[in-house]
Amino acid sequence: MRAKSAPSAASAASAASARTAAQFVALLVLGAVLLALGLAIGSLGWSPWTEAGDTMRLILWDIRAPRSLGAWLAGALLALAGAVAQGLFRNPLADPYLLGCSAGASLGVAALLFVMGISPAAALALRVGMTGAAFVGAIGAVLLTLVLARGVTQSLRLLLAGVVVGVVLGSGAALLTLMNPDILRAMQAFMLGSTGYVGWSAVQVMAVALGLCLLTALGCSRTLDALTLGEDTARSLGQRLTLIRLLLIATLSLATGAAVAQCGLIAFVGLVAPHLVRSWGPTTHGALLLLSALTGGALLLAADIAARWVIAPQELPVGIITALLGGSYLLWLMHRRKAHFGGAGGSQ
Amino acid sequence: MKSMGPLGRAALSLATLVLTATSAVAAPITIQDDRGHTVTLPDVPRRIVSLLPSLTETICELGDCAKVVGVDRFSNFPASVQKLPRLGGLDDTSIEALVALKPDVVVAGVSARVIDRLEGLGLRVLALEPKSMNDVQRVLGKMGRLLGKEDDARRLWNRVGGHIAQSAATLPPAARGLSVYYEVDAGPYGAGTASFMGEILARLGAKNIIPAELGPFPKLNPEFIVRADPQVIMVGQRNAAGLPQRPGWSAIRAVKQQRICVWVPAESDVLVRPGPRMSEAAALMARCLREAAQGPVAWPTTPFNAPPGGMR
Amino acid sequence: MSAARFDDGSRPGAGGVPTSSGSSFATGDAGTSAAAADVASATVAMDAGVNGGTATAPDAVTLGHVPALRIELRALSLGHRQVLHPLSLAPAPRAWTAIVGPNGAGKSTLLRAIAGLLPFDGTLTLDGKPWQAWPAKARARQVAWLGQNEAASEDLTAYDIAMLGRLPHQPWLAPASAADHAAVEHAMRQTQSWDWRDRALGSLSGGERQRVLLARALAVHSGVLLMDEPLAHLDPPHQSDWARIVRGRVAAGGAVVSVLHELNVALQADTLVVMDGGRIVHQGPPHDPTTHDALQRVFHHRLLILQVQGRWVALNA
Repeated sequence: MRAKSAPSAASAASAASARTAAQFVALLVLGAVLLALGLAIGSLGWSPWTEAGDTMRLILWDIRAPRSLGAWLAGALLALAGAVAQGLFRNPLADPYLLGCSAGASLGVAALLFVMGISPAAALALRVGMTGAAFVGAIGAVLLTLVLARGVTQSLRLLLAGVVVGVVLGSGAALLTLMNPDILRAMQAFMLGSTGYVGWSAVQVMAVALGLCLLTALGCSRTLDALTLGEDTARSLGQRLTLIRLLLIATLSLATGAAVAQCGLIAFVGLVAPHLVRSWGPTTHGALLLLSALTGGALLLAADIAARWVIAPQELPVGIITALLGGSYLLWLMHRRKAHFGGAGGSQ
Repeated sequence: MKSMGPLGRAALSLATLVLTATSAVAAPITIQDDRGHTVTLPDVPRRIVSLLPSLTETICELGDCAKVVGVDRFSNFPASVQKLPRLGGLDDTSIEALVALKPDVVVAGVSARVIDRLEGLGLRVLALEPKSMNDVQRVLGKMGRLLGKEDDARRLWNRVGGHIAQSAATLPPAARGLSVYYEVDAGPYGAGTASFMGEILARLGAKNIIPAELGPFPKLNPEFIVRADPQVIMVGQRNAAGLPQRPGWSAIRAVKQQRICVWVPAESDVLVRPGPRMSEAAALMARCLREAAQGPVAWPTTPFNAPPGGMR
Repeated sequence: MSAARFDDGSRPGAGGVPTSSGSSFATGDAGTSAAAADVASATVAMDAGVNGGTATAPDAVTLGHVPALRIELRALSLGHRQVLHPLSLAPAPRAWTAIVGPNGAGKSTLLRAIAGLLPFDGTLTLDGKPWQAWPAKARARQVAWLGQNEAASEDLTAYDIAMLGRLPHQPWLAPASAADHAAVEHAMRQTQSWDWRDRALGSLSGGERQRVLLARALAVHSGVLLMDEPLAHLDPPHQSDWARIVRGRVAAGGAVVSVLHELNVALQADTLVVMDGGRIVHQGPPHDPTTHDALQRVFHHRLLILQVQGRWVALNA
């Protein structure tokens, strides 16, 4: 009987990985389709590249292609960061910004815009640029959170420190905006997110960041699985929790910082994409991280296309669309789950 | 009347004359402001607080700068108002300081949150917000009525209109009909045909790449500007820095031929305020168009130095 | 120490679970190691002196070397409160040690200290080598831990959860090997959770979930198995199953230490460690009268300890 059951055990595992492979391919195809669609939506709405003239086509290659690709990459980065955050803190409401990244980035951008009006530092500010300031701000906020929490060992302390840093740095950004209301509109554009100025150099930066973060996160995925059993059990299974935590927080910061620096603060993608993947069936973290990235990319790209299309040639902030898309799907999911499970599997 | 002698009749007519004269001076002023409220003042105000820079400038242009006892933090023209007490912006006005100045009337923008509070404290508030050229004419008329200088207001309007027409007339033919993109803020937010800057551009014969149906300040897809390929770009110094490096923008004519007019803060001040300095605004834009028609436009050499507290 | 038999004549090793339920333990394993089982059960009957469960067939796992775990504790404080006072414990291999005591005696704390999960003033050695000197994975292969009220992700399948127990054996990022699959299947069949291996953990009941978590701990194939309140949510038949699995492990050479509330199950162990107020009050076999005295003392003489059909039971007085 054991000879017959070993294949069935392996076949159970391979059935799961076959399903994962199918989802992977489907998400890649979806991404490619959306990318093609993104190349066809311009400032006049639907304007496929076949219709445009030669010189115009070159211009659109400089604008539409990096923008669509950048939206996909930013979505992938945010979704990966969200999945890492949710796994690391074992909290389904965790999002990429929970360690203060968003507030830090806002403060960096506000400080830059503010400083640009003070001439001695203006030259330096120009060199750093808004993307540099946002990135430095995001990373700096996470470092501050780590210092306040005195290390990565205690999840609760990390979360609290993240909240404190988020609130304090956010008020700092608000204060700077108040002191110089000229920067208000630029800050608002940043806070609501936009892929408007994403060029090929930004795409390269985000692609490198995605590759690095994906590799690191996948390397730590087993530990994330073990962490679902609790810290004690994970440690008893021989997992080096402190090291893995540091790596994952670094991954989280890099991914969020890269995405936020190029595209501003985009809400909901990091929170919703892992939930979407989980709703398609139970997955281990290895598959979850990869599929979340692909889902997040597709989500943000779809939102970017909608933001460009709906009131062309005007543009909606992409963060509003992601909130609408992601939020309504979550609502539907909650509604469906409540109907299915009633009291959520507690009967004996 | 029969019982009065010639002296009594003279005294009576003198009294009537004096009475009519004083009543003419003491006639109450009734103005309907931009909120639709009717504000009544017993007399021409002697102490005015202004919370909108364009209204400050209007009062001073009409010659009553001495009557202004307090201004908001953004009012900076003419130089004499810079010495007046600053009462904050529209959202954080220091109400105590304002009330302590005992103004007869407060003029403010329509969107000021402080208006209800001030009216609750018994002050008279006139809410006026000029956004387009028509607005400026209307507001000028109302301010003229407020100050009892309606003729002066009309003359001022005609003078301003004349200056604008002059700026337009002195443009060389090469500078007329250029397509222009005016960037108001990073976003990119552009100034549409329906906006104040758009109206001045129209008077100067320039073509605005943003059509009227998009509204006064739409947030655009950067591709739209690349597609429209303007010949001249007008932008404030704060946002000018990274503009030519935006992806795809190097193909725009204005960027290729370096026809980007960069406004220093003092110039931006004039351009964003629909008020009596409209003629200056038109002159600035005319100068930009003239220079652009002749070749590349030089960027300002002084580094960007925003006034503390921001511009409005 | 005679080979006790129940009145109905059934073998104690199969007591409580009808073989028709498909327990592979009774049918499959015994077939392959029948001869070894007989020898092992006879040895167990003589050495361990298990009360009533002498003829248990050993678990079909190769445990290899079972390390000697030893704790010498001077003090352990949680916050500002000293929870454990000086004590020492060395759970013997080939024996099931049950830690019992009233609420707040520090049983779970002691077990967690032995598992190396809590810092304390003292020494913890595994085969004579200090705990910190062991590489984490090697240590994890020797000592397995099953915690109390373990949280678990609602989204992983039962199979994946059980497979987590094989982490100490898997090289970094290597896929699960055939040995891993076999170990997981064996463990899940032992705890009778194999049938719902594809279901998400969130859809299982409390007892079903506990059995999956137990399979996870068993799949580690460690020499030492530490379990804190492993019988939570388990109904009586499955509690007996658990006892049977433990005895099988012990027969295969392992050391099992459990913290149990259920005195009646604990009284089937090889050694009882009685704790009260952060100290070990007594260590001894369950049939020993001194052990009974110690139990009565710590439970304020509110127990009625008697032998029923050859097994010691403790009833509430």
